[in-house]
Amino acid sequence: MKTRSITLYVNGEAYSLNVAVNRTLLQVLREDLGMPETKYGCGTGECGACTVVVDGGKSILACLTLAATMDGAKITTAAGLETDGKLNPIQEAFISEHAVQCGYCTPGMVMKSVSILAKNPKPTEEEIRRELEGNICRCTGYVKIVQAIQKASEVMASTR
Amino acid sequence: MSSRILPEFDLLVPQSIPEAVEMLSKYQNKAAVMAGGTDLLVLMKAGLKSDYVMALDEVSGLDYLIYDPTDGLRIGAMAKLAQVVDSDIVRTNYPALWQSACVNGTPQTRNRATVVGNILRASPAGDCCAAVLALGGTVVLQGAAGKREVDIDNFWTGYRQTARQPFEFAVEFKIPAKVGKSAFKRMTRSDQDLSKLNAAVSLDMAGNVCQGARLAMGCVAPTLVRMKKAEEIIKGKEITEAVLKDVEAAVKADVTPIDDVRSSAWYRKEVAGVLVKRTIEKALA
Repeated sequence: MKTRSITLYVNGEAYSLNVAVNRTLLQVLREDLGMPETKYGCGTGECGACTVVVDGGKSILACLTLAATMDGAKITTAAGLETDGKLNPIQEAFISEHAVQCGYCTPGMVMKSVSILAKNPKPTEEEIRRELEGNICRCTGYVKIVQAIQKASEVMASTR
Repeated sequence: MSSRILPEFDLLVPQSIPEAVEMLSKYQNKAAVMAGGTDLLVLMKAGLKSDYVMALDEVSGLDYLIYDPTDGLRIGAMAKLAQVVDSDIVRTNYPALWQSACVNGTPQTRNRATVVGNILRASPAGDCCAAVLALGGTVVLQGAAGKREVDIDNFWTGYRQTARQPFEFAVEFKIPAKVGKSAFKRMTRSDQDLSKLNAAVSLDMAGNVCQGARLAMGCVAPTLVRMKKAEEIIKGKEITEAVLKDVEAAVKADVTPIDDVRSSAWYRKEVAGVLVKRTIEKALA
């Protein structure tokens, strides 16, 4: 088949789509669904800018995933983290810890952080750094990103 | 050719192993099999063309790691590297495989990439490839006429070439229950890079004496290779500093690396023996 009919659940909404089979999940999110928050970085799995979370906690690369093979998947992007207009604690922490400079890697970093804290709510600095291995930031030097994740971890523990 | 756009192809989405086998019988070399896609899609963005891509996402029941103390470990075609990383059984019984999975790619690619895909890719730099060559085992291939098993020692036939026939579907990889003490080590510029050199060992120890060893190396030949001369040196001996020196020298003499973007032939040859020696020390630590 050259095209396939699929249903994607993006940030809680169902989308019935007929996608060309050679289109990546990233292309479909950005171009077909008009959701530009997930970024195109390298296209080859090196940089993590296109990181999204599937099925509640697993981080994957939207640029190396065919949309046609994701029928029925539940996908969360950075725009899907807020509830009732209120930012998620991870997003809040990226702001309060100044973990953003140019901002291009940020949606990928935030989604990777979601997956880190979903699996390990109290990660050590070393664990955070190891998990961030696949996300490249060329501005911040990572220190503030690590601090933001630690802050989010504390906030989430205290409100749980 | 672009890292943004994939060439055109027809997608095949089998729902079962028999259907996958039937599709491969029909399309053979025209079909590229995709497990996680983290390698295949990068290759296709770089210009690799295939009329068909067969995605295994919807073949249910292939993402297993099944361990039996007598029969060993069976790794299904869709078992992800992340599953290996999370497996206490693999960590305890097959440290070389666990250690190789932990550093192969990035957390995101490990959620999609598979061990069997790493083996089928037949890159001489495959990290899990070094581990499975050291541990030993067989690739289980299924064709229309039935199953056969190919020993990993004979599976890689050349650079990116395997003993799999175009009509055969790789169902699983099997590792025996009884393997020696094992470990994996590699050298990279930064952690997420492909290896410039990797090694895995498994040592059958009786007290301090090594009764037999499988020493595997990557990035030093068109395929992963066993360091047979070094294996002979270590066999039947107590592993002392002197024996390790001989192993180091034998490995250095045995490897025939090339220059490429990740390292030079000279450097690889200089450090290959040291890496094997340190991997042996890691296995025994």
